[in-house]
Amino acid sequence: MFNIRTRRAALAAAAVTASAALVLTGCSGGSEPAATYDPDEEVTLNLAFWGNDVRADLYDQAIAAFSEEYPNITVNSSFLGFPEFWEKRQTEAAGGGLPDVMQFDYSYLRQYSENGLLLDLEPYLGNIIDTEPLSENILGIGVVNGETTGIPTSTNAWGMFTNPKLLEGAGVEEFPGGDWDDYNEWMAEVTEAGGGDLWGGTDWTGRIQNFEIQQRAMGSDLFTDEGEPNFTEDDLAAFWEQGTDIRDDGTVITQQRLEEIYPVSGFDAALTTSELTWDNFGAGYLGNLGEEYTELGLIAPPITEEGAQDLYLKPSMLHSIAATTDHPEAAATLVNFLVNSPEAGAIFGTNRGLPASETMLEGAQLDPLGEQIRAYEESISDRLGDAPPVPIVGYGTLEEKFRQLGQELGFGTITVDEAVSQFFTEMDVVLNQ
Amino acid sequence: MTTSTSEIARPEFLEIELDQQPAPERRRIKRKTINTIIWFVVLAALTAIVLYPLIWLFVATFKPSSEFGQNPGLIPDNPTIDNYFKVLEGIAGVPLWRFFANSTFIAVMAVIGTLFSSALAAYAFARVQFKGVGILFAAMIGTLLLPFHVVIIPQYIMFQKLDMVDTYWPLILPKFLATEAFFVFLIVQFIRNIPRDMDEAARIDGAGHWRTFFSIILPLIKPALITSAIFTFIWTWNDFLGPLLYVNSPEQYPLPVALRLYNDQTSTSDYGATVAVSFLALLPILIFFIVFQRFLVDGVATQGLKG
Repeated sequence: MFNIRTRRAALAAAAVTASAALVLTGCSGGSEPAATYDPDEEVTLNLAFWGNDVRADLYDQAIAAFSEEYPNITVNSSFLGFPEFWEKRQTEAAGGGLPDVMQFDYSYLRQYSENGLLLDLEPYLGNIIDTEPLSENILGIGVVNGETTGIPTSTNAWGMFTNPKLLEGAGVEEFPGGDWDDYNEWMAEVTEAGGGDLWGGTDWTGRIQNFEIQQRAMGSDLFTDEGEPNFTEDDLAAFWEQGTDIRDDGTVITQQRLEEIYPVSGFDAALTTSELTWDNFGAGYLGNLGEEYTELGLIAPPITEEGAQDLYLKPSMLHSIAATTDHPEAAATLVNFLVNSPEAGAIFGTNRGLPASETMLEGAQLDPLGEQIRAYEESISDRLGDAPPVPIVGYGTLEEKFRQLGQELGFGTITVDEAVSQFFTEMDVVLNQ
Repeated sequence: MTTSTSEIARPEFLEIELDQQPAPERRRIKRKTINTIIWFVVLAALTAIVLYPLIWLFVATFKPSSEFGQNPGLIPDNPTIDNYFKVLEGIAGVPLWRFFANSTFIAVMAVIGTLFSSALAAYAFARVQFKGVGILFAAMIGTLLLPFHVVIIPQYIMFQKLDMVDTYWPLILPKFLATEAFFVFLIVQFIRNIPRDMDEAARIDGAGHWRTFFSIILPLIKPALITSAIFTFIWTWNDFLGPLLYVNSPEQYPLPVALRLYNDQTSTSDYGATVAVSFLALLPILIFFIVFQRFLVDGVATQGLKG
């Protein structure tokens, strides 16, 4: 993980150099006559996505369905794992060879948009791309500096997974809801009942999203629209202090134990009974837990401030079109199919997350887990606020730094004050790149 | 890889050395046998320690996916052979043998290209007195100092403009143009150590550069060529970044890229399939190395002696 991050940072630097090259290629492209849309024109599009073989099969089916409807458009698809996908994109972006249509990640949206690598979809919204089934706050997610450069396929919300089977074994009731202190007490109860082999949860102060929802409960996002940090060192110190007790008294699983089972998490390994994470992680957990575990609990995260809108919907992925595409209309047609069509809904189900578009959701056959996510996202509708601004460039690096500092706190190798100052140093570097 | 194999080789080597000592008396022989046994046991234990990760990998291919993370030990709780069947089916409609075939094709072409072009270039640097040979030689050595990451983007733009992306050309073409300065340098040094008398004799008999190269130099630099071939094969087989950047269609992926498809952290990761396919991917190169190891040692040894 760490390697990938550093490499990514290096490539990000390369991408800056690359934007200069792009300006050059952009010039040469500008002299060509504007393409007029011919619905029968023979067109070939490249589509790139990340995922495993299951998702690749689903995309193949979707492309087959698309080709039936638009026989003149040939779609060549290409897929990779997530880190490799972005490694390849960074070089392609620099070389002007981005695929026409891409599955896109929220954390890269700002960087690629600001470098002018993604097509502004505004001209196609409402005609080629149907906006009727997409709600205003969903369309708003893919807007960077006033340009719509991505359409969310699906949404996630922050949530808490629990393991009912382990809880039953320990003889503890499901977490009934409450504030963070209640959650800590509940975890302590599980850990005690577990007798050393089972913990109530993982140290939640290691995740930046928990800090984010606490800050949002107080009415401020982590970063402003301009990408400036919106919290002080004291805020962060206060947040990390909350984890001191649960780490020291052994309520949460020890960092040493977590290292032993890496790359899977404590929750994956059936060592903890709860985990705060994005609500689309359920399938992965069930897969890693094995066949003995058939269901998970999905409940709202602890409350910071009663009645606050601390949660928000995040796109689990978006679809974007490269600015360099030769066939923007055909590409937009494909995006519309992948984002809106009931056929795509029927094929993908919840593989890419809970469908964001109403028409796609209608077509989707939800599996029990998908149904659970849908019910969950409905149940927290009171706590859902506006999405925070599109993540700053380098947010991924900060998220990772936050996680690493959380680990070090878990090992007890640094104090909270040291962690805070390290995080602010890192943030300084990222923001002033 | 290299360390572990040399560890395996060591006990044999020592045994031979011990056997070669003259043994006039029976008691001496007996003591020697005990010595050999002790050596053997100690070295076998060391080998086992060094090889443990490889053994773990092999045994882990029989673990069901759900056991990863819950059972970090060597022995699987519920051994199964399903991982192999699953892996043989391939991924996203592309059968596994296809990835092996792709890797083999690229590696073989790379070996042919590197040997052909590097030997020619090395001959020119070592034997032909053309203008600017010193500067060009220095420039070639200079390219060794350039990390691949520096040239990625310009190189990508070049191949993109040549419309060669999503073909194997970007991976193979450079090998035919002697871009692997390391091998050129290796062969140049080798040729420099061959006495010039042989070339001169050929010249007196009327041979031009081509004839001298093919009939005199080429047979003499065989050890260097074998070394280059082995390294090129292994490096190309294991190359990840090049194919990742230049190959788009999944059915064209070589093994290292295909390997990663089994392990996607954002959806479900199939660890069982990942280790099974990793192990299978390791086999050809392991066999290749064991078969050619002898030549490799020869090549390096003769190079050392020639100086």
